[in-house]
Amino acid sequence: MNVTEFRSGLRDWLDRNDLTPGPDHSLDGQVAQLARVRRALYEAGWMRYGWPAAIGGFGGPAVLRAVLGEEVATRDLAEPGIYSMIEVLAPTLTSYAPPALAAEMVPRLLNGSEQWCQGFSEPGSGSDLASLTTRAVPRGDNWVITGQKVWTSLAQYAARCVLLTRTAPGHGGITAFLVDMDTPGITVRPLRTMHGVDEFAEVFFDDVAVPGDRMLGRPGDGWQLAMDLLPHERSTCFWHRIAHLYTRLDRLLAETADPDDADLGAAYLALHTARCRSHATQRRLADGAHLGPETSVDKVLLASAEQRLFDTARDLLPGVMELTDSPWRTEFLYSRAATIYGGTAEIQRNIIARRLLGLGRD
Amino acid sequence: MDAAERDLLTETLRKTMTAASGQALEAALDELGWPDLLAEEPETAVPAVFLLLGETGAHAPLLNHVLLAAAGRPLGDTLPLPYAGGSWVVWNRADGPGAALDGDLPLRPVAEGEAVPLAAGRRALGWWLLGTGRAMLALARTHVLDRTQFGRPLASFQAVRHRLAETLVALDGAEATLVAADDDLGSLLAKAAAGQAALTAARHCQQVLGGIGFTAEHDLHRHIRRALVLDGLLGSARELTREAGALIREQGTAPRLVQL
Repeated sequence: MNVTEFRSGLRDWLDRNDLTPGPDHSLDGQVAQLARVRRALYEAGWMRYGWPAAIGGFGGPAVLRAVLGEEVATRDLAEPGIYSMIEVLAPTLTSYAPPALAAEMVPRLLNGSEQWCQGFSEPGSGSDLASLTTRAVPRGDNWVITGQKVWTSLAQYAARCVLLTRTAPGHGGITAFLVDMDTPGITVRPLRTMHGVDEFAEVFFDDVAVPGDRMLGRPGDGWQLAMDLLPHERSTCFWHRIAHLYTRLDRLLAETADPDDADLGAAYLALHTARCRSHATQRRLADGAHLGPETSVDKVLLASAEQRLFDTARDLLPGVMELTDSPWRTEFLYSRAATIYGGTAEIQRNIIARRLLGLGRD
Repeated sequence: MDAAERDLLTETLRKTMTAASGQALEAALDELGWPDLLAEEPETAVPAVFLLLGETGAHAPLLNHVLLAAAGRPLGDTLPLPYAGGSWVVWNRADGPGAALDGDLPLRPVAEGEAVPLAAGRRALGWWLLGTGRAMLALARTHVLDRTQFGRPLASFQAVRHRLAETLVALDGAEATLVAADDDLGSLLAKAAAGQAALTAARHCQQVLGGIGFTAEHDLHRHIRRALVLDGLLGSARELTREAGALIREQGTAPRLVQL
């Protein structure tokens, strides 16, 4: 199926099948809505295009997933951040899990029956991810895991976790597992966040026994796994998020009583630039290019555009964010994290300086 | 034109532009077949030629050609060009010091002229500004790798690295808008992005080049002057951004210009 056929068929189907969220905008409500949207799109087949048959997909180019996510975001059917997590998790399983495990598990993600999380960051390992210390030690056929993760999105809803552990020193001593979250010894404690949506948690691992066949790749492949998922995040997920931000610019145009052309134009130009760059990245991916450090440029453009948009909303809707409990408040506050999550703006600039500009080590 | 032919064209153009500027460059490009290329393959010829004008620091009155070709008029003429602030200028075909901030460019103020095909001209100028920005970044990069202070290359200081990273982000973003520009609004936005990126490059590159970049014997100031002057031609980044804002305000929606 080509993009045009897919898009028009999907739009037609969405016009006839109303998946508009209900009144519950809490995180519980958002997660339930996400599951509802996934289930419906999976049953109708849309969620399966662009994924390989080995994990329950219908095949076809990955760009179809970007088209689907754009439509979901444009119609505000699901919160784009949690909707897009699948774009990182499913390819990771496909690339690193034993084929039988991927075939068994990934369909549950696609069809909305499960949420998963990513256990990467730790209290002592944020930007310096490779310093992580959660230990995995072999014992019989199992690995026993001890340590702590933090800023783990949706951990309190997750059935499974793609977990990075330390099995030896250095970058080459990081090993990944797919861990069932109901395994004895795992404790999840949701964290309050600044924007009032408690989407991430602390996760404690206390002598958690994980079967050896749940290892993703081989011992020491964890760092490469983490690096390999960035291109997924920075292609399809970004395209979804940009589509979402356009809807917020449109909403601002509808709601502002104080439209300032210079401010609106600057917000639009920043979004348009991020969209054009992301479009070029989608093209390169479709042509079989291997995405690498140049996607840090996409990341900086997107994060800057997002913050500019919500700064503009605050300026042109004076008092709204501060005095009324509107969605603008939550979304403005959440936009402050855009230059922090997924690799801070400073880490991106370090990568650009070192890898793209060839400035050597700092 | 396939990739190998494009590479060959780029190399030929680079040599030509390194050897000549102004009227002499216009004549050399004439011999290379620029008018035919512009008529037959503007989507290849314009980005290649204008990007290289920026990268090499050369200049020639080629913007006249682009606008005349887009208007379906013969190339051997000049026409009044709208400039920022409601001014108008003519880009003379003959060399000669102009009064503009970039004295190499033979620009001359004139009375208001007729409407020109803005989109084609803005795309061409956008590529030129992008090339100018890339030239400044190349100068700054060389400098920070070569120059040592406190016993370390400047390139090892994070504040310096991040300025140049920010410059690359702006330039690469602008390039993406130029590649995508195929209508009036896309061309307007691309010129705005390129103008803004060139000014970002000017600010950061000037800063990291320090006192050396402030001397007239270093080439940086030529590119800075060029960026400042080209930004105003056919609308400055500031004016075009405001125009885009007015447009989405009137339409009540922000057009999604590129599609998968």
